[in-house]
Order: sequence, then structure tokens, then C-alpha cells
Amino acid sequence: MNHQHINKIALVVLLVIAFGLPLVVRSATYLHILVLLFFYAYLTTSWNIVGGFAGVLPLGHAAFVGIGAYTSTILSLQYGISPWLGALVGGVLATVAGVIIGLPTLKMRGAYFALATIAFAEGLRVMVENIDYIGPLNLNGPRGLQIPPMETGLTHFMFATKEPYYYIILIMLLAVMLLTYLISRNKLGYYLMAGGEEPEAAMALGVNVARARLIAMAVSSFLTALAGTFYAQFSLYIHPKSIISLDMSFEIAFIALIGGRGSIAGPILGALLLRPVGDFCRIYFGDTLPGLHLIIFGLVLVLVMLFQPRGIQEPISRAYQALLNRLIPITPGR
Amino acid sequence: MTMLQVEKMTKQFGGLRAIDSLDLTIEKGQILGLIGPNGAGKSTAFNCIAGAFAPTSGTITFEGRRINGHKPWNLCKAGLARTFQIVKPFASKNVLYNVTVASFINTGSRKIAEEKALAVLESLNFAGKKDMLAGNLTIADRKRLEIAKALATEPKLLLLDEVMAGLRPNEVDEMVDILKALRDRGITIFVIEHIMRAIMALSDRVVVIQFGKKIAEGTPAEIANNENVIKAYLGEDYVVARN
Amino acid sequence: MLYIIEDMINGVLMGSIYGLTAMGLTIIFGVLKVINFAHGSLLMVGMYAAYWAISLTGIHPYLALVIVIPAMFIFGYYLQDIVIKPIFIAEKNVREPITVIIVTTGIWYILDNLALLVFGPQYRSLSNNPLQGQMLELGEMFVSVPKLYGFITALVTAGAIHWFMKNTLMGRAIRATSMDREAASLMGINQYRIYNVAFGIGAATTGIAAVTLLPFYNVFPTVGVLFDIKGFIIVVLGGLGSISGALIGGIIVGLIESVGPQFMTATWTEAIVYGLFLIVLFVKPSGLFGQKHDW
Repeated sequence: MNHQHINKIALVVLLVIAFGLPLVVRSATYLHILVLLFFYAYLTTSWNIVGGFAGVLPLGHAAFVGIGAYTSTILSLQYGISPWLGALVGGVLATVAGVIIGLPTLKMRGAYFALATIAFAEGLRVMVENIDYIGPLNLNGPRGLQIPPMETGLTHFMFATKEPYYYIILIMLLAVMLLTYLISRNKLGYYLMAGGEEPEAAMALGVNVARARLIAMAVSSFLTALAGTFYAQFSLYIHPKSIISLDMSFEIAFIALIGGRGSIAGPILGALLLRPVGDFCRIYFGDTLPGLHLIIFGLVLVLVMLFQPRGIQEPISRAYQALLNRLIPITPGR
Repeated sequence: MTMLQVEKMTKQFGGLRAIDSLDLTIEKGQILGLIGPNGAGKSTAFNCIAGAFAPTSGTITFEGRRINGHKPWNLCKAGLARTFQIVKPFASKNVLYNVTVASFINTGSRKIAEEKALAVLESLNFAGKKDMLAGNLTIADRKRLEIAKALATEPKLLLLDEVMAGLRPNEVDEMVDILKALRDRGITIFVIEHIMRAIMALSDRVVVIQFGKKIAEGTPAEIANNENVIKAYLGEDYVVARN
Repeated sequence: MLYIIEDMINGVLMGSIYGLTAMGLTIIFGVLKVINFAHGSLLMVGMYAAYWAISLTGIHPYLALVIVIPAMFIFGYYLQDIVIKPIFIAEKNVREPITVIIVTTGIWYILDNLALLVFGPQYRSLSNNPLQGQMLELGEMFVSVPKLYGFITALVTAGAIHWFMKNTLMGRAIRATSMDREAASLMGINQYRIYNVAFGIGAATTGIAAVTLLPFYNVFPTVGVLFDIKGFIIVVLGGLGSISGALIGGIIVGLIESVGPQFMTATWTEAIVYGLFLIVLFVKPSGLFGQKHDW
């Protein structure tokens, strides 16, 4: 019995809990909260590919969520195309957008990239808010698009209860975590990390830093757009202020940063910590102290950056390691 | 065969001519040292060759191909590796990870890259520290890591920028041995150094520049007795005194 | 035709005010070499400060400058000193401290939502202020008086800062630090104190902009966001670190916004501003008057 074994067992236990939760939690409200928790964990993990590993700061990722959501919704409402297919189309569109933004800016100072992402996201939101039709495609401006209840079933990506959505987002989350893990353990991950930490040194070692970052951006945008489709099918209503909002972009970035960008557990830990805090504040203080959770997020972010710039995952994983060492001391020579 | 040829290279920064019509040749398997008083332009020459910036005029030829203004990563893939005077380790990662980044250059498999990295570390007697965080290394070890990383890119020509700076005399001697062993493995080396005992012990040939111009070239023994060189470093009086 | 000239004049006036709002951002960047993402929130703080100062005392809006300028300076000075300086120190050797961006974004969030909490979401405006809705008649054209005041203020402020940088000891110290912080510190200049001062000046400038906006612009918690983004656009257009660039960049934006609606809907005008930003970013990131950076 060694550390590897314990880690594997812990993983299996967590998976069992995750998959078994809906059997225990029957309340629709709580399931809803859990679904959104996983949704944000998915978003932050996807964000992490470019914001964490690559070391740049995208602050407009909600734009990709919006592209995904609008693409699949329009295709399904107007042309009857299955949302699954629409999700892929949305993903491709988002990738194109991400690459266009990234191409010139990923070579420059990080601040410029951050600004470009904000400008793109806000510009997109303003455009969508004010356009009703692009050619034959109906965007419906600020009123947004509503998805009427249609046939349910997997092919239609529509279900009457929350459970199927829960499982879908959970599987998406696990897939993205696995992908992130694989990237980090292979050439792209090594190159991204090197370029993020010491770009000049990396370049002298054969790493085309800008290109690696661009690849990361493309992957991240694609995955983020898929989540947009999920959100559309889950809430059945999308409009610019909710789905292409700066708030969402910032929340994604903040969670990843607080959790610990550049690590795999970081974004998840961040989401696990902050989403419930946010929900709690929204439910209990929504009327009396609006925006309280955002203040808390901001404060936590500033404090974390001052004292634990690598995120809360660092002290947590150190504590975990210490715990492991207590249970099973490492034998020398291992 | 000629590994590197620099012809009439000039680098101008606005009104300042840092390098003036410099000619340089490095033969395969040679160790060439570049020395000169402070401000002579050694780093500028180095950086032009290494691709940090392009020369204003002149040509740099590597293995017969012109490489003016080529990007650093392409140069590295072509077999030209460099170290940095101010070492830049990936501080948050361990030594093995640092070198593995470099050895990915010719492979896509992590397994192979790690094996190659380990081999490089072993050849430098460094494998014992493979799990140490790069940020926690001593300065001498960091310099060794810097060389390990450059070595892991499987270079034909290695450009070393003041790798001895900050080392104690016994560490300098160790480094000289390491570099000579590299040369014996077939790697051509171009060194900039201030530490005379290192350069003289190491180099096959030495080039001396002052105010961006070459003032002498020859074996270490020839250089040590060259009037112009002595004048450049120590001033007129010493030349007169010697005579 | 006359309308276009009228629009252009008002566009230039409003643009100069935009430039004034962006001036603080460009000063902070020019010296600290970081983009202060909390810039819009500083403007918001300045506007609320001026609003309360004026509402509670009933003084002429521009008199509020006496209170707002020192208040904002102190606020900016200590914000930099307490929150941002530690990160600068920790990341001394990092070529670009991204963490500063992250922290200023956090500050943006905190300030905006704190304002929401404390002041509520309602839009406030200075009703019954002496400048409200005043128009100057120029032949058949009408020029907005508060904007005219703003224009003059913008020019005066730009001139004052320019004079300060050139002729005072502190100003020269600031310029030295922004040119080469290591050399400056070797001359005995405490670079962190300079940063504090520069941040204070940037905040104070933003406070001035807030006062000029108040007579005709509503205050609400997220008023800063729009100016924040426009501020970025303006400083990129005009060149980071250049005060005249900020003014000119602002005027360009102001002109587009005022003349644009003659030819297209207001939304497209906004979209053009964003588009122009992205184009400048892609084509000439150093802007019209910016310093050359190593990318």
C-alpha cells in the first residue's frame, strides 16, 4: 500500500460519490446548483488550458460560451439541427474567433492579450444585443432566444428532469479534466509551461511560444463553446447580458486564479469553494446586500494573489501530502 | 568544415555602432573564445548570432546557410543552442522537468524525452539532483542546469554566455573540464568569458574585440603576448613598461 | 451640413473629456509599466466623491475639485502602497507582472460592487446644478457648456501635468524612473515611492475627469466599466504613456461617437470603436504617439 494506491482509491471514491449524488440528492434546486457547479468547473478547467498552462490572461471567455450557445440554438430552432451537431459547429466558430484574436496578441505583452479579449467579448455582446437578424439568422437582439420545450431525449439534448443534465455535464467535466491531464504530461503541456514561466529561455530551447499558446487558445475556445450549448439546452433561455457577460468572464478567470491556475485540481477546488459561496450569498443576501458575493470574490482574489499567488491548491495539496505521509511514511530510497 | 561564419557583421543601435564589421569563423569541433574589455560588444555579437536580434548588415552563416534574423526556436531546431548570462531556469519545476522541456525538441514522446534528459544529466554528473526544484539550486548548479538544457537540444554548435561568472575557482576548473568533454563528443563551442584562466585553458582559438572591432585573433598563447590586447585591457603604460 | 459641424464640435469637446478620463491610465502605465484595470472604478469613486461633496454642500461643481483632487490622490497613493506594491516587490524580476493585472481586476470588482452595496443601483445626477443643460449659441449651432468647461479643464490639466513633469524635482524623478528604474534608483530615487506618487497623480487626474463629467453624466456603480474599456481603447490608440496621445485618442473616439450616428445607428458606432481598437492593436500596438516597447 503506497501513495499511488491511496490516490487511486481516493479518486475512485470521489467518482462514486459524484456519480451517485443524484440518487441521494432529490431536490431539484440542489441538483440545479450542482449542475451549475460542474458547469463552472468545466469552464474554468477549459480556461485553464490557455490561462493557466500558457500563462496568459484571457478575460473574455464568456464570448465563446455565447458563440456556442447562440450557434447551436439558432441552428436547432431555425433549421432543426441537433444541438449536439450545433455544438460542434459552435466550437469551430469559437476556435476561429479565438485564433484570430490570439494570432497578433499572443506575441505581445500579456496585458494586450487581456485587453483584446475584453474588447472582443464586450464588442460581441454589444453587437448581439443590437442585432436582430444576420441574414436569415434570427438573434433576437437583447430579448434573446428561448428554446420551447420540444421532444425529450438524448438526440434532442432535452430532458424533463435535471438528472440527465447532471450526468452530461459531469462526463464533460471529467473528459476535460482528463484532456488537461494528458496535455500537461506531454509535449504541448511542457512547452506551454516553459513559455509561460520563462518565454525567452523557452524560445532558445526550440519552443515556438506564440504558436503553442495559439494552439492552447484554439483548444480552450472550442471546449468553452461546447459548454455554451450545454447551458442553452439546460436553461432554455439565452440572452446577451447573461451569456456574454463580463461578469461570467471574470468569474471564470477569478475561480481559476483563486483555485490555482496551471494545476488540474486548482480550477475544480476554486469552483468547489467559490460557487457555493456565491450561491449562498445570492440566495440569502440577494436582496439586502446585492453583489456581496462579487465583493467576496474580489477580496479573496486580491488576498490570494498577495499571499498565495499559485492559488489555494498549493497549501491544500501540501496538506494532503502531509496527511499521506502521516498515514504511510515514505520509505527512503523511494 | 566551417560551422559558423560571420562576415562583416555590423550592429547599430540608433547612433551607437556596437559591432563594426566583425569577421569570425568557427571550425567544426573547435572551441572559440571571444574576449574583450567591458562594453566591447561581446554580448551584442553573441545575441546577433543567437537570433535575439538581427544584425544591421553583414552575414551570419551556419553550416553554409544564412541565418540572419532567424527566430531563436528555429535556430535551436537547426542545431544552434545558447545559454543565458542571467540564468533562466523554470524555477517552479524540478531539474528533470527543466531538461525534458529541451529534449522534446526531436521527439513527441514524453518517455523518450525524459530518457534523453536523464542521459544528459548523467553525462554532467548531475542526475543526483534531478528531483530538486530548479529554484532551490545554488548558482553553480543553476549554471550546470543551463548547460544541461542547452545540451539536451542536441546542438551542433553551443553558444555559452559567461557561464563561469559567479563561480569559485574550483568550480571554474570543473566547468572547463565539462566543456572540454563536450568538445570531445563533437560539439563545437563558442564562448564569451571574462575569466581569463578559463578562456585560456579552454579555447583552441581566441578572438579579441574592442569598441566593436576585432583587434586580435590567434591561439591563447599568441593572444596573451599580443601588444594590442594588452593595450586594450591594461592601457598604454603597460605596453611601454613591458618593453 | 451645419449639424455635422455641430456634432463635430461637441464630439471634440466630449472627446477631450474622454481623453481626460484616460489620462490617469496612461500616466500610471507610463511610470509603472502596468495597465491599471481598476481605472474605471477610480473614475466611479471620483464621481461619487464629487457627487456627495456637491450635494451635501451645494457648492458649484467645479469647486469640488478642491476636495476631490487631494482625496483621490491620497486614495491612489495608498492603494498602490498597500495593495499593489507588495506584488511589485515579489515579482521584481519578472518581465511582466501579470499578477498586478489580476489584482487590479480584483480591485475593480470590489470597488464596483461595494459601491452597489453602499449607494444602491440607482442612477444619480446633479439636478439643479448651475451647468445643467446649459447651451452656448454659436450662430445657429448649440454647444454644450458643461462639455466646453470639460474641454478647457482637459487642456489645462494636460498642460499642468506636462509642466509638472518637466519643471519640478518630483516630476523629473518620475520621468527618470519611467525611463530606467534601475538607473533612477541608483541616483537615490526610491522607485516605490515614485510609483505611489504616480498612482496618486493618475487617480487625482481621474478625479478631475469625474468632476467634469458630473454636471451632465449620471453616476451609478458600474459607470466606470464603460469608461474603463473606452480608456483602454483611447490609450492604445494614442499610445501608452503619452498624455497628448490620450487627448488625441479621446478626441478620435469622441468624434466617431458624435458624427457616427449621422451615418449609422448608435450601436454600430459603438461596434466601430471596439473594432478600431482591435485594428490598432493588430496593426500598430504602440499607438499614434506611444513609446517603443520590446514585445
